[in-house]
Amino acid sequence: MAQIVAAMAMTHSPGLTGWFDRAPEEHQKLALRATAEMRERLIAARPDVIVAFSNDHLLNWPINNTPEYTVGIAAEHVGPADWYDEWLGMTTKYRIPGHPDLARFIVNESVRRRLGLAYLRTMEFDDGISVPMHFLNPEGAIPLVPVTMNCTVPPVPTPERSYEVGTILRDVLTAFPGNERVAVIATGGLSHEPGGPRYFWVDEEFDLWFLDLLKRGDHQALLRECTLEKMEEAGSGGTAELNAWVLVMAFTRGPADVLAYMPAVAWRSGTGMVVWNELA
Amino acid sequence: MGHVERTDKTLPLNEMIFYVRRDARLRERWNTDLEGIAREFGLSREEYEALRDKDVRRLHALGVHQYYVPQILRLFYGAPMNTNNHPALEAYKRAYPEETARALAHAERREQRGRS
Repeated sequence: MAQIVAAMAMTHSPGLTGWFDRAPEEHQKLALRATAEMRERLIAARPDVIVAFSNDHLLNWPINNTPEYTVGIAAEHVGPADWYDEWLGMTTKYRIPGHPDLARFIVNESVRRRLGLAYLRTMEFDDGISVPMHFLNPEGAIPLVPVTMNCTVPPVPTPERSYEVGTILRDVLTAFPGNERVAVIATGGLSHEPGGPRYFWVDEEFDLWFLDLLKRGDHQALLRECTLEKMEEAGSGGTAELNAWVLVMAFTRGPADVLAYMPAVAWRSGTGMVVWNELA
Repeated sequence: MGHVERTDKTLPLNEMIFYVRRDARLRERWNTDLEGIAREFGLSREEYEALRDKDVRRLHALGVHQYYVPQILRLFYGAPMNTNNHPALEAYKRAYPEETARALAHAERREQRGRS
């Protein structure tokens, strides 16, 4: 059976690749150090495949049809999408091998556990997958199964639901008949309100509070205290990307190491990197 | 709930932006035939005028998904470096002077704190 060997989370704001040097130098240093450490810890876990949980920014699905979750089942993933390449400062396309067997297993096995997932044979990539892969899997050496959630088009999912889906997907992944070592990575957050009235605002106080909940490592306490309302207050339509972090938290036990936090208005979101030590 | 809940999921303009972002031919027409694209996607006069005027507050009020608003500004002004000097910032300053001023003052204070 497949085995979960690493769980981590990082921000995917487009500024991290598109206009990195516009943030204060201190933020740049912290981000480079923290992503380098994440990458070292990822490589040390010797994963055969990364399952990345991100969100679709109205790129793959139009607003009239936004599935709760979508799995990319391609044999090879190519990104970023044309619309995003200049924005992300990635004018050369990257290519990362997929893992179709695992991806298709996730879709079908989830059905047996009453979880309906959409899938795409060809997925397009925005900042959600492109930015973390740039830092953590720059050569595309580790195969990837991308999973996007809809937390952009209302109704925005609750942290409880995301944790529940994480619990199901943990069982699904570990039921895969293979010896794969799987790294799960959440991308998104922290506080930001993309395109809303508070587009240029980062809620440092919320971010530090949320990261502290992760450091405490009590999942039930986090789910009780960090409601969807709190996320929306800290930045509507953006902060709830942290639902991907909550989903990955379901693969873990106990406290997370917070590698860095930057209230990076220049990159357009609270920016953080986290690694969990103990896997559930 | 938050601002994103004000989205009108059935607004033609919200459908239009999805296809414009994915189609180079539609993007080429953006600055020369915006009215034609608007007609093809069934936009109301109100939607078209808010779009043409790059009016952030009216676009929000009509129920345009908030994520699409900076993307609309990008279609007009181009992509490079979405920095604090970008025309998108000017558009938000006009639409939400208080929110934007507060956010930028806060960021400025933080950066000074970081340097000292």
